[in-house]
Amino acid sequence: MADEKIAINVNNIENTEQIIGQLMDNYSDDVLHLVFSYVKNRTTAEDLTQEIFIKCYEKLGQFNHKSSIKTWLYRIAINHCKDYLRSWHYRKIKFSDKIWDHIPSKSKHVEEEIISRNVADSLTSAVMDLPVKYREVAFLHYYEELSLANISKITGVNRNTLKTRLKHARELLKNKMKKEV
Amino acid sequence: MDDPFYNLKNSIKKDFAGLSFSEERKNAVKETIRRKQSHLELHYWKVETLKNILESLQDGAKHGYDISTQLFRKKELSFKSNEGQLYILLHLLENKKIITSNWIEDRKYYSLTTKGKKYVASWEYRGSKQCASLNYLIEEASL
Repeated sequence: MADEKIAINVNNIENTEQIIGQLMDNYSDDVLHLVFSYVKNRTTAEDLTQEIFIKCYEKLGQFNHKSSIKTWLYRIAINHCKDYLRSWHYRKIKFSDKIWDHIPSKSKHVEEEIISRNVADSLTSAVMDLPVKYREVAFLHYYEELSLANISKITGVNRNTLKTRLKHARELLKNKMKKEV
Repeated sequence: MDDPFYNLKNSIKKDFAGLSFSEERKNAVKETIRRKQSHLELHYWKVETLKNILESLQDGAKHGYDISTQLFRKKELSFKSNEGQLYILLHLLENKKIITSNWIEDRKYYSLTTKGKKYVASWEYRGSKQCASLNYLIEEASL
């Protein structure tokens, strides 16, 4: 997290549009990947990422320089993803997904096909299949290469809990890979 | 070394390579911000609101909370349940050099500048009919 190129001057409201532009240039792909790891759907991930940067604009005045801007951005992003996963809208989609599972259909889900094409590698798809609390810590620790202390700061989850989850995630993954072989 | 996640970074990198936040999406964000930023223009605000704020400073410097309660007493409800907006507007008026601010013991006090006093005087002189021109005056003077 050494990339602190963005000078934030919160006193200059007129400058915020520029700051968000810079934030997007530096981190929007990272945020998109992060969001995708939660919602597993490309269009949804893009929509949420868009909303996240607008949220950042609204909250920029509250950024207190105590954490790095990336930590701050990720915290907003993750909270937004979790709100989405809890939302009525998402639950409705999930429910109709389940209905589709019971109806034999050739065209099943276009979105799902795109994802499975995206996720060609079996390791990625195995991780994407993990329950969200394990997927979250695996993604942040191994892909983002964040320390557990930092992940704790970002997610608000206790460090020891994260440690246990990571351990559990490894076991889940090992079992999964065994079955596939 | 028996970590099943060992190769995850490379694996995800490869799989997510096509996943990029497009310029189109970025522009959509900027467009939304620009729309939201319109409240940073004085003409976004009602003339009455501007008038009430400047008048509340007529009898001396005040901090934000004082201004806010005084506005409330005047039945000015623009900032009801949205107090942050008041500070945005105060900041804007400060940028336009109509008011100025001072920190006194952890509190920011706002007061009218000479320019601000002139505005208050000029519309009081012309009477409330001319009130609508206040916005215009402020915009014009700060170009």
